[in-house]
Amino acid sequence: MSSVLSEIRKDYLYNLVLKGERADGRKFDEYREISIEKNVISKAEGSALVKLGLSQVMVGVKMQPGEPFPDSPNRGVIITNAELVPLASPTFEPGPPNEVGIELARLVDRGVRESKAVDLEKLCIIPGKQVWVIFIDVHILDDCGNIKDASSLGAIAALLTTRVPASRFGLGEDYSLPVNDVPIATTAIEFGDVLMFDPDVDEESIANTKLTVISTADGSICGMQKSGPGMLTPEQANRIVDIACQKAREIREKFLEV
Amino acid sequence: MDRKVVVPGDLLSEDAKRSGEGTFVKDGKVYSLLYGLANYKDKINVIPLAGKYVPAPGDNVIGVIKDITFSNWIVDINSPYDGLLHISEFPKRIEAEEMSKYLRMGSSIMTRVKDVDPTMKVELTLNDRKLGSIRTGRVIEISHTRVPRLIGKGGSMISMLKKEMNCNIFVGQNGMIWISGGEEEMDLALKTILLIEKEAHTNGLTDRIVEFLKSEKGARS
Amino acid sequence: MDMDEAEISFFKDGLRLDGRGADQIRPIKIEVGVLARADGSCYVEMGKNKVIAAVYGPREVHPRHLQEVTRAIVRYRYNMASFSVEERKRPGPDRRSHELSKVSREALEPVILTSYFPRSVIDVFVEVLQADAGTRTAGINAASVALADAGIPMKSMISSCAAGKVGDTLIMDPMKEEDNFGQADMPVAMTPSGEITLLQMDGRLSQEEFRQALQMAMRGCREVYEIQRKSLLDKYSQLESEPVQEVQALE
Repeated sequence: MSSVLSEIRKDYLYNLVLKGERADGRKFDEYREISIEKNVISKAEGSALVKLGLSQVMVGVKMQPGEPFPDSPNRGVIITNAELVPLASPTFEPGPPNEVGIELARLVDRGVRESKAVDLEKLCIIPGKQVWVIFIDVHILDDCGNIKDASSLGAIAALLTTRVPASRFGLGEDYSLPVNDVPIATTAIEFGDVLMFDPDVDEESIANTKLTVISTADGSICGMQKSGPGMLTPEQANRIVDIACQKAREIREKFLEV
Repeated sequence: MDRKVVVPGDLLSEDAKRSGEGTFVKDGKVYSLLYGLANYKDKINVIPLAGKYVPAPGDNVIGVIKDITFSNWIVDINSPYDGLLHISEFPKRIEAEEMSKYLRMGSSIMTRVKDVDPTMKVELTLNDRKLGSIRTGRVIEISHTRVPRLIGKGGSMISMLKKEMNCNIFVGQNGMIWISGGEEEMDLALKTILLIEKEAHTNGLTDRIVEFLKSEKGARS
Repeated sequence: MDMDEAEISFFKDGLRLDGRGADQIRPIKIEVGVLARADGSCYVEMGKNKVIAAVYGPREVHPRHLQEVTRAIVRYRYNMASFSVEERKRPGPDRRSHELSKVSREALEPVILTSYFPRSVIDVFVEVLQADAGTRTAGINAASVALADAGIPMKSMISSCAAGKVGDTLIMDPMKEEDNFGQADMPVAMTPSGEITLLQMDGRLSQEEFRQALQMAMRGCREVYEIQRKSLLDKYSQLESEPVQEVQALE
């Protein structure tokens, strides 16, 4: 069907929520099945393919020497971009990222940057002149809901597999990019006074509002983003944060084991 | 074997007269147009696995109102073509200003295709007692290519289901299906319909469905 | 790089740099129906190329002024992911991707029965996830299968393969080093019965070399067709609980 959800479908989902259920039988704080395939793009310095339920996101990390920003002459540079390509959804149009794509990229960037997962000081080659530039490119392949969490997971997974291509530029031997933290984004929606994590496509379209929480390995929060037109009470925000950090820990533990 | 998987361009027959649906004739031979199952009868028909629903006059369909213009509701019928429901095809005489009062954005309707012109302008009607707005029950979606199997020869499968499951069922040719009944009855109807969709092209399906219903109802009582 | 052709040896003991013979294509992997949202989809690996194609449609045309009253229009968008190439590519289309999109569309259009769907659009999207010469041929191969997967009526499949010339020798399916330092590159696409729908060339070939290279590319296309066909038939068997017979492939 089109992107317009029928009233009867909305009523059906709402009635399920009143009974404490979701259309696919998940609990409100349950994530769909996650799989992470690493090093899928050998030409990239790091890469990961994340599947979250039926959603699929590919993230590639490329590195090359470049000029530092004038206000941080001895620090490496991270540039994050997200392509919501039309192949991934009937609602994505070709063209440069729109506000949704830009928000997604900036959210992924926030997680990596604010958690200091990558020590930018260590990426200096010639102070004031040359530093390593890290490109994190998110490529959405199949939007079946919650591509924010999938993208953020893909980014850190790709960074964890990244090899700095020093030899290609005559800067010594290749080495693994040192990564100090594993920020994980977890998103919840509010609908019918109920909070649901990892929304699928239908749930996203009926959500009043969404809150994404990015937490680090020690359980503290390094990024947040409310999106959507609705409102949240402080209690709801607190509740989401509590569950989000717990979910992130579960995902981080499972993922680190892999 | 009277059924074979084919891909577009596969040679089906040297006899042009056997060209059926989903096939084309070139140099007197019959070839497949589609990726699907070729059914070898007098005529060879190729039934696709996937594809969009193309409306035809007389089809029952379920649609969702997506826009309202001066005198038409624009209806999403799960097709590359929208349906147009003119105000005169509403069973009650209403004024143009009242249109959204009766059917608004997001409303679902059981409707019929009245006419399709060569430019694919699709006209719908609600002028029939069996048609109307959907307010209760559930609507599910299956691939429209499986609908003939769900209905069965002369309606045999669908009549059997309606009787066995004690539900109202309206089957749209566009793959949208409305079910109405008690919660448990609707759950069973849903399961059964999805099973039929999954196994639509296999042999002996009717018997297996009858068995399935017997065991499900037995387990629940 | 300023290497002289004479200095690079593309052949060692009669085999190419990756161990292939002159008329061997790279290993191909095809997966049908890999995306949930798209109407049809296909993932293809050809050597180190990794591409994914998705088909949406027939569907409503936006903007409406593009629609044609008597048939569906076909749109093809070839796009490379930033991480698909050695030096990170800026996102978005460039002149090369516009040209590739056009010729790829023209490679598929002749077999699509657009008259079945007036006033609609069939959208084909190809994303290159990893590139190693021959991405346009891999894209067309994936798109052809994705179109079949979407149930689009076609007179036949389309298969694509390139021929090239390197070290004065004609080769099938050039890989990146052969393409970069080679003397000619000629991508071709055709129907299984040999009707050509894509033909491009750059480099230098004598008329006789061209004839031979074309034959070579067409043999490559034929090999690709067998693999495309098998992948579609295999997918069907996976869905079925019953074994289904195969129709003989077109001779």
